[in-house]
Formats: sequence, structure tokens, C-alpha cells
Amino acid sequence: MSTNAPEFRLSGAHALAGIESALKSEFRLEEESETRFDHVYYDSFDWRLYQAGAYLRREFEKDRRHLIMSGLGDDSPKESVAFTGDMPRFYWDFPESVLKENISDILDIRALLPLFELRGVSRSFRMLDDARKTVLRVQLKQGSTYDAQGRMGTHVDGIVRLVPVRGYEKFLRKVSRFLTAEMELVAVTGSLFDELLASIGKVPSDYSSKLDFWFTPDMYSEAVARHIHLHLLDTIESNIPGTRDDLDSEFLHDLRVAVRRTRSALTQIKGVFPEDVVERFKPRLGWLGQITGPTRDMHVYLLAFEEYRDSLPERYRRDLDPLHRFLLVHQRTEHEKMVKQMESEEFLQTLADWRSYLVSPDPGASALPNTRSAVSETAGKRIYKIYSRVLDEGLAITDESPPESLHELRKNCKKLRYLIEFYRSIYPEKDVKPAIRALKILLDNLGLFQDLEVQALKLQEFAHQMGKEGEVPPDTLLAMGMLVDGLMKRQHQARHRFGQRFALFADKENRDHFKRMFSQGKVKQAA
Amino acid sequence: MRIIGVYNIKGGVGKTATAVNLAFLSAQEGHRTLIWDLDPQAAATFYLRVKPKIKGGSRKMFRGKRELDGLIKGTDFENLDLLPAEFSYRNMDLMLSERKKPARQLLRLLRPLSEQFDNVILDCPPNISLVSENIFRAADALLIPTIPGTLSIRAYHQLLDYLRENKVRGVDLMPFFSMVDRDKHLQAEVMQDMTASNPEMLSARIPYDGDVEKMGIHRAPVGEFAPQTNAWEAYRALWAEVVQRLK
Repeated sequence: MSTNAPEFRLSGAHALAGIESALKSEFRLEEESETRFDHVYYDSFDWRLYQAGAYLRREFEKDRRHLIMSGLGDDSPKESVAFTGDMPRFYWDFPESVLKENISDILDIRALLPLFELRGVSRSFRMLDDARKTVLRVQLKQGSTYDAQGRMGTHVDGIVRLVPVRGYEKFLRKVSRFLTAEMELVAVTGSLFDELLASIGKVPSDYSSKLDFWFTPDMYSEAVARHIHLHLLDTIESNIPGTRDDLDSEFLHDLRVAVRRTRSALTQIKGVFPEDVVERFKPRLGWLGQITGPTRDMHVYLLAFEEYRDSLPERYRRDLDPLHRFLLVHQRTEHEKMVKQMESEEFLQTLADWRSYLVSPDPGASALPNTRSAVSETAGKRIYKIYSRVLDEGLAITDESPPESLHELRKNCKKLRYLIEFYRSIYPEKDVKPAIRALKILLDNLGLFQDLEVQALKLQEFAHQMGKEGEVPPDTLLAMGMLVDGLMKRQHQARHRFGQRFALFADKENRDHFKRMFSQGKVKQAA
Repeated sequence: MRIIGVYNIKGGVGKTATAVNLAFLSAQEGHRTLIWDLDPQAAATFYLRVKPKIKGGSRKMFRGKRELDGLIKGTDFENLDLLPAEFSYRNMDLMLSERKKPARQLLRLLRPLSEQFDNVILDCPPNISLVSENIFRAADALLIPTIPGTLSIRAYHQLLDYLRENKVRGVDLMPFFSMVDRDKHLQAEVMQDMTASNPEMLSARIPYDGDVEKMGIHRAPVGEFAPQTNAWEAYRALWAEVVQRLK
């Protein structure tokens, strides 16, 4: 209920004691409490809270455990909730509260991970007026930060925090004036959170699964390609620990997307790497995709499980419980298998070899046609070629075409999308956006069509496997059959919508737009 | 936001002590709590060390010229704020009657605070008036401290009659025995009879106790200066029962 609580920070071992005695000689202060505090700060791996302008900390004070979400700008607490037991990891572990509602939108399926810890001592004083009424609270804090591994970051020598009492703000102004004018302290405007992060060497938003390159049109194609690949390799490697420890399903997802993008870039960016290099790494990178596939499948079904269950009439829902148990058991075993592969020599060597290739100059590359060409020349050409292929393939699809023709089209659409995303920064943003949007609408349709088919087939496969592994109640098989039926119906609808979606993608306006951008090379002008 | 009135037609029944102690318990549990002292004697305001004065005067407040928000004072306790009383409250009936829908003015004034507070406790002046009618219409629950005695039973029945006649519904009546003296046999008999005929009676009982009297010396809730006492235990039990009933 407090309004703004100004904060002053001190440095030097004895500064806080000095301020305490100065305040006591000037004002009527009475010590209220001395508590040890232990605050752990959390965010998701991809900094979702930070991106949303907030941070979350867990407070242990006396016997109370609280989660408090604060705004980044001024460290002002926004929402809080008390909890018991273990620290919630996902939003669904939170006690019912406004905080839970707010954080669910931000975190989605990502886990909260500890960033750092601030431990120390906080002393609270009341400032009294003539009637011995508390008119202001003064908190003096000191402590140290520790990173997630428990290594000490820095000492926080002193924080003076003035907490106003409602209706008595003039005392806040009085003490603030004293601290600034007499003690020459400066009220802090920046967030303490940012400073603490820096103290343990953390850079906010140092990870994002989004591609965010800054290429200029005149850069050499080879340099750009290496940069893209190195970025993707960093993404793969930074997701390995979280995937191994199964912190949340997005680590594996991001890792797999980066592998797919790598494979696509390797074959689609032509004439910058020697053919034998491409051929050497293609199967090895493909293998990374293979060994991580089965675990991802299990994640997909577990994430979709609630939706599956809710798609059935109420009385059949419990019949899916054996399927849920099956998925959980297999998720664990597939994960163990995957981790073994990830710790294998082959896995580690593949990544090491790939990195070593990307960071060393390749004398063989200079003879290739595109290495020294400006990226503005090669990128557009390649994008337009794949775009034309997508157009041809799509136009050839009729109502009678087999599903495979749509799957093939999807593959090329994805290649196209990756290419546009890799090179997005050399084109004016206002032109790239509509191109990606048009492609996304088509891709969503094709993705749904294929995913629903795969899911239906997989569910059939699971039913057989469950039968092999032991008794399956007939009701469970029936319920799974209903799921398959529902998926097939939705797939049929997706197929039905394809014609219209593709027509939208291939209309004259879009065709002209793609042509202008990629065939006629409408790149950004040099500043 | 839950609104709890502490009320009795009779004065001197331990009303303000109840309001202040329960508000303190609510705040201790982490609920953002406001106590609104509506009694011109301003006893709750005194207990919480706030000056009995409303910036700009109470008439302006009732006219809606000043929002309650700016008149609220923080107490010495975390989560507990106070809207002080002042002597002009003795004319509150008059001020309310000048307004349209005079019986719903408190509710109108409180509504904008619903985001800021979880519990609002009204310390009400005794007797039946337009002020008390406002309280009946605003409160979710009415706590009625009752000294076990024949006059108190009569006062309680007067209240019930009044509520029925004026069609006041939707307020949960929670009478409870206050200032209970264990040595008085007559009180025990009255309590037995009254509980039997009024099942809504809460079972928690507040004793007649020196520690409650000392609130005026310490100018604080009992739990602040005498937490390990019978009196405080009794208030805790009372609050637990109220919370349970409100669920």
C-alpha cells in the first residue's frame, strides 16, 4: 500500500553504520526488527519476465515464503502470493492468485530458473512523531549476491530504503532531503535488479530463440553464412544443459529448431561451402535431429494431452488415463536414451567439428562462386528460386492430389521461410513483414494438415505398443479411437481450407511483392 | 473486498476494541485491511495514534468532493490503514440525508477502494440512525458484541426487528458475547438461553479483561503488547470463526 519508496545505495564497509547514527541523531528512530533475508530471483531461460518488464523473487523472511513480482523500472512490487512447500517451477504450480494469472500469460510453458540469490540482513526502524506515531519506516540492508551455482558475486554494502506511511508523506520528504542535502546521497533511479544481475556477470536477454541478425547488403555471402551457422550452433549448445536436465520442453524444442535451420542453411545457402564439406556434415547434423525426435514426440503429446482429453465428452475422459501414464513412462525412457546419445563421442565430436570448421578459414572456399559475392546478390536469387518452386508445386495441387504433395510443399515453404528469416535484416523491415506473414498463413495450414495426420498415426502406433506392453482396457482403446477420429476430421478440414489459403498466398499482389523484393533485389540502401 | 461492520445499538460493549483487534489480526494474516472509524468519539483513531481529523472536513467527503483514498492514514502496522473519525461525525446523519439515496452513501464511497483492500472493518457508532442503516446496507457481515445480560438480549431483538421492517437482507449477522465475566452466574444462564434461541451466535467469547482496558494506555491492539494472554487468544478465536463463517 506504500507509494513510491525511494532508495539510496552506499559503498564502503562502514557507510551504513555512519548513516544510521546520522539519522538517529537527527530524527526519532526506534529499531523495529532485524531479520536475515534470503531472496532468490527467477526468470525463464529466454528471459520472458524481463522482456515483459518484470522480475520475480522468492523471499524467505522469518517463517514466511513469498513470491513477489516487481516492475523492472523502479523495483516496485506489483503482485505477491504466499506459498508453502517447494518453489513453483511452472505457472501451473503457483497458488491460485492474481500473480498466477499474470505470470501464466508471460511464462506459458517455460520453467522458472534461479538467476541469483541475495542474502543478508535487513534492519527496520520506525520514525516517530510527537505522539509516538509511526510516520515513516527506514530500512537498512546489506548483503551479498550469489550466482545459481552458489558462487559469491558482490557485496551490497548498504541500501537505505524509505518506506512512507500513507498520509504522512511529508516525513518522507523531510528524511529524503536530509539524506540528499546533508549526507550527499543520491536516490537511485535505475533498478537494483539490473545492478545485481551485472554483479554476477549475467546479461539480460542473452538468449532468445528468435533470429536477430544485423547484416548489411554488401557483406560477403560466406561471412554471412558462417555467422548464421555460428549463431545457430550457439543456440544448439546453449540448449543442451536444459535439454539434458529436462528443465522444460522448450529447451529441446529450441535445440531441434536450431538443428533444422542449420540443415536447411547448409543445403540452401549455395556456393559458399565446398560440396564435400556439405556432404560430410549433412548426415551428421541429420543424426542430431533423429536422436532428439522421439523425446520431442512425447513432449508434444504430453503438452497436447489436456486438449485431447477435453475434446472428448466428459464421460470418456478418464478412459485416457492409461494413455497419459504410457506417455509419461515413455517420455522418461526416451529422454534417458536421448541423454546417452547426447553424451556420446559422436554427438560431442559432431558439434566440435562443425564449430572448428566454421571458425577456421577454408582455402577451398575461395574458388567457389558465391563466397566473395555480396549477400544482396546471392540471397535474393536463392529466395526467389525457392519461392518459384513453392508457387509451381502449389499450383499443381488439386483436390485429388495425394497428401504427400502437400507435405512436399510444406518442406519447401519451410526452406523459404528460413531463408527469408536468415536474410531479413538486409531488406527493409516494412517489406519483409508482409512476405513472412503471407507465408506463415500458408505454413500454418500445411503444418496443421501434416501434424494432425502424424498425430493420428502415432496414436494408432501407441495403441498397438500399449497392447504389447500389457493389458489395455478396451474403453481406453475406444477413447483413443475417438481421438484419432477427431484428428482425422480436423485434418480433413485443414485440407479443405488449403485451396483458399494457397490462392491467398499466390495472388497477384503477393507475387508482385515477392518479385520486387527478391528478384529485383529491393534491399536496404546504405545509410 | 469484504466489509465487516462492528455494531451494537448499545454503547460500551467492547465494540472499538473488537474492531481494532480484528483489523490487526486481518492485517497480520497479510490481508490489506482498512479500519474506518465512524464513531465521533474517535476511539479507534486514538488507539491507532492517528489525529482525529479529516482533511477538508467530513461534509466535503460525503459530498464526494474528496475521495476517501487521499484521507486514509497508515497505522504503525503493516497492511493496516485507518480512515480516521473526527468530531463532526456527530452530524453525519444530517450530512447523509442531504444526499440522494442517503442509505447507500457508505457503499458508494467504499466502492472505489475495492482494489486496494481485502478487508474493510467499520467501527460504528451506537444507536439506530441513518449511519447505521448505511452500515447495514454496505456490510457483508455485522459483528455484534453483546454483553450477556437481559438488556443486551432486548437490544439484539430490537435490531432484528429493525432489519426485518426495513427489508435489510444479505448481511450475515454474527452476534457474540463480549466482556464476559466468568464469576457472574447470571451471565452464564443468559448465554445459555441466548445461544439456544439464536443459533447464529458465534461460539468465541471475549472476556472482561484488564489487557483489553490497557489498549488505551499502549494505544495499540492487544496482540501488539500482550500477545500471550487470554484476551488475545479470545480475539484470535473470534477472528478465525468470522473468517470461517465468511467463506
